[in-house]
Amino acid sequence: MALETERKTEAIFNSTPARKQKDRILLLLRLVAFLATASATIVMALNKQTNTLVVATIGNNPIKANLTAKFQYTPAFVFFVVANGMASFHNCFILVLEIVGHRIDYKGLRLAIIAILDMLIVVLAAAGDGAAVFMAELGKNGNSHARWNKICDKFQTFCDHGTGALIASFIGLILLLIINIISIAKLFKPKSDITI
Amino acid sequence: MTKTGRIFTLLLRLLASGATLAATIIMVTSHDSAEVLNLTFEAKYSNESTFKYFVIAEAVASGYSLIVLFISSKSLLRHLVMILDVVITTLLSSSVSAALAIAHVGKKGNSHAGWLPICGQVHKFCNQVTGALIAGFIAAIIYLVLLLYTLHTVYI
Repeated sequence: MALETERKTEAIFNSTPARKQKDRILLLLRLVAFLATASATIVMALNKQTNTLVVATIGNNPIKANLTAKFQYTPAFVFFVVANGMASFHNCFILVLEIVGHRIDYKGLRLAIIAILDMLIVVLAAAGDGAAVFMAELGKNGNSHARWNKICDKFQTFCDHGTGALIASFIGLILLLIINIISIAKLFKPKSDITI
Repeated sequence: MTKTGRIFTLLLRLLASGATLAATIIMVTSHDSAEVLNLTFEAKYSNESTFKYFVIAEAVASGYSLIVLFISSKSLLRHLVMILDVVITTLLSSSVSAALAIAHVGKKGNSHAGWLPICGQVHKFCNQVTGALIAGFIAAIIYLVLLLYTLHTVYI
C-alpha cells in the first residue's frame, strides 16, 4: 500500500508541467550545442586554400609558386578538430539517450554520470578552443618580436572559415557549460526530488 | 563529507594554489636576450598575448584557490564553490593548451607558414616557459581530480 502511494507520488513528480518544460529547454540547448560543435568540426576539417604567390624575383622575372594552407599544418587546429568532434559525438549520444532511453538507469546514478561526462567534455572543448583561437590570432597579426609574418592577408578565405569555425565552437562551449551547471545544480537537491 | 574527505580536499586545493602560483611566477620572470647578426633579440613573456593570457588565468586560479581554502565544506556557499570550480578548471585547461600551442611553434617552428623556431637563440626563455607550462598542467590535473572527488562525495 505504501509502495503504491510512493509510486503514484513519483509519477506525479515526474510529469509536472514545469519540470517537463525545463527538461525540454535543456534538450533544446543541447541540440543547439550539438549543431554548433558539429558545424565547427566540419568547417575546420574542410578548411583549405591554395594560392599562387610570388616567392622571389630573379632579375625581372617573378617566380610564382602554388602554396596551400591546410588545417593539418598546424597541430593546434588538428587538436581543435578532434576536440570538437568528440564534443559533438558526446552531445549526439546524450541527446539520443535523453530522447529514446528515458528510463535507462544505473543504480540511480544517471544524472551524476551525465554531469561528470559533461564536465570532462567542457574541459576538453575549452582546451581545443583556447589553442585554436590563439593560433588564429598569431596567423592574423603575426609576431614582430619573433619575426613571424602574418598569413591572413594572403589566405583570406582560410582565415575567414577558421574564424567562423571558432565562433561556432565558442557558442557550443558556452551552451555546454550552461547545461553542465544546470545539471550540477539539479544534483544538489535531495534525491527524492530529482526527476530522472 | 567525512573528515578524511575534507582533509583530502583541503590538501588538493593547497597543492593547486601552489602549482598555479609557481606557474605564474615562473612565467613572469622568464626573460632572455640574444644577439643575432647585430640585432638584439629580446624574448619576454609580454611579447606574446598567449603568455599574457596564461599569466592572468593562472593568477586568477591561484587567488581563487587561496580564498576558497577558508570556506568550510558545510557552509551555504559550497554549491557556488562547486560551480566556480568547473569554470576555473575550464579556464586553466584552456590557458595551458593555448600556451602549449604557441610554445610548440616557438620550439619547432612551422615550415608551412615560414615561421622559424626561436628556441635555438633564447634557451633560458624556452626553459622557463617549459617549466611554467609543466606547473600549469599539473595544476589543471589537480583541479580536475578535485572536481571529480567533490562531485563523488557530494552526491553520495
